[in-house]
Amino acid sequence: MNIPKDLLYTKDHEWGRIEDGAIRVGITDYAQSELGDIVFVELVEEGSKIAAGDPIGTLESVKAVSEVYAPVGGTIKSINNALEDSPELVNEDCYNEAWMTLIEMDDPAEAQELMDARAYGEYLASESK
Amino acid sequence: MKTPLYEEHERLGAKIVDFHGWEMPVWYTGIKHEHMAVRSSCGLFDVSHMGEIYVDTKKSVSFLDRILTRDIYSMKKGKVLYTFLLNESGGIIDDLTVYCIEPGLKYMLCVNASNTDNDFSWIRKNNSTGAGLDNKSSDIALLALQGPRSDKLLKSCLDFDLGDLRFFSFSIKQTKKYGELMISQTGYTGAGGVEIFMPQEKAALLWKDLLDAGAVPCGLGARDTLRLEMGYPLHGNDIDETTTPVEAGLGFALDMKKQGFIGKDTLSTQIRDGIKRHLTGFVLKDKGIPRQGCSCFKGDKEIGVITSGSISPVLDKGIAMGYVNNTFEPGEEVDILVRSRRLKALITRPPFVEGAIVK
Repeated sequence: MNIPKDLLYTKDHEWGRIEDGAIRVGITDYAQSELGDIVFVELVEEGSKIAAGDPIGTLESVKAVSEVYAPVGGTIKSINNALEDSPELVNEDCYNEAWMTLIEMDDPAEAQELMDARAYGEYLASESK
Repeated sequence: MKTPLYEEHERLGAKIVDFHGWEMPVWYTGIKHEHMAVRSSCGLFDVSHMGEIYVDTKKSVSFLDRILTRDIYSMKKGKVLYTFLLNESGGIIDDLTVYCIEPGLKYMLCVNASNTDNDFSWIRKNNSTGAGLDNKSSDIALLALQGPRSDKLLKSCLDFDLGDLRFFSFSIKQTKKYGELMISQTGYTGAGGVEIFMPQEKAALLWKDLLDAGAVPCGLGARDTLRLEMGYPLHGNDIDETTTPVEAGLGFALDMKKQGFIGKDTLSTQIRDGIKRHLTGFVLKDKGIPRQGCSCFKGDKEIGVITSGSISPVLDKGIAMGYVNNTFEPGEEVDILVRSRRLKALITRPPFVEGAIVK
């Protein structure tokens, strides 16, 4: 399972990359492999104010629907519109091309609550037991 | 419960899910890839969870003829029919295939895994003629080899000519390597191919040989999208004890001319007086995926409900089946409510795609 070292992680299997007071968010390799073929992505629109844990998008695989949650609170600065026409990017390149949402953080300290790669790796291992 | 191929699924890295108590592969590499392999080439499914009930009718066939909706008396050796077990009010206890092994003497019913026990007790309860009943579900493995290239794999692995077998018929082949195989030209994908009933202990061997010959292992996920593209109903979703074959548009599997069978009176009334709702298909015009339980609207008026929905990998559009008020016909544009959004859909009579895509 690919867990890049430079990212932060949630227990719901989102990743975050800190960029200048903002956080770029997507789902992890583990999440995409569990969901299977992603066939539809719907993201909460730009400008929306959200709190940590709020839904910021909906992913549909062939079999099921699942939500993506905000790792931190803030304002949605931009969303990845490419996923609307190419949802399969989530399976192909979940950490780069298939980023979903860029959130301007209300309180950057919130990001300190997230797991680092090592902690997320351990979390996955404990979940799969 | 596990099928005899469980270890093979694990070895292939399948994602395993619980399916009515069975630990079954939902996909190996991905549903879309597996789906397309079946449409254009050849896929292999483990469907050993399905039930097989043998009926010995030496004393009389009348009992079997009375609990099924097809004319059992006219079945010839090697013939397969799609049929139903109905309750007294015409509701569908199960949909199944009946195999004529020896006319008048021996038949086999292949039933849905989740219904096997329920079916067996219903059959036993209605066994008025003392027919011999044998639930062999846990002794028999079932492989479904589906897709337009199935004939080539059958030839190379089993020296079996699919061309000699008619649609919805079967033959029994003795093999040294795999034991006795019952090869049936049936399936749940619309892509052509066979289903092979065989001894459990040899199933892994044939499974591996067919994969080595080029079949793509396919899970229940692709099985579901394939059957939905063809508009084949799934018991528990699209049909159940509260719906009848008339409402589900499955009249082809009813021999209404034959003498009484359980549930016939309700069906006769429905055919004579008409029905209020019927099962139909939908193709989405908007992006999105309808799911079971979504409501269907015309304007403000709720006119139906979705019973199965997914994406069509061939069309790359949302497709669905569901019941609508009987006044709505194919070609009508309706809305399907998917998570508080109304998506435009066209009522469309399935199949939604060609079963086999031969390049």
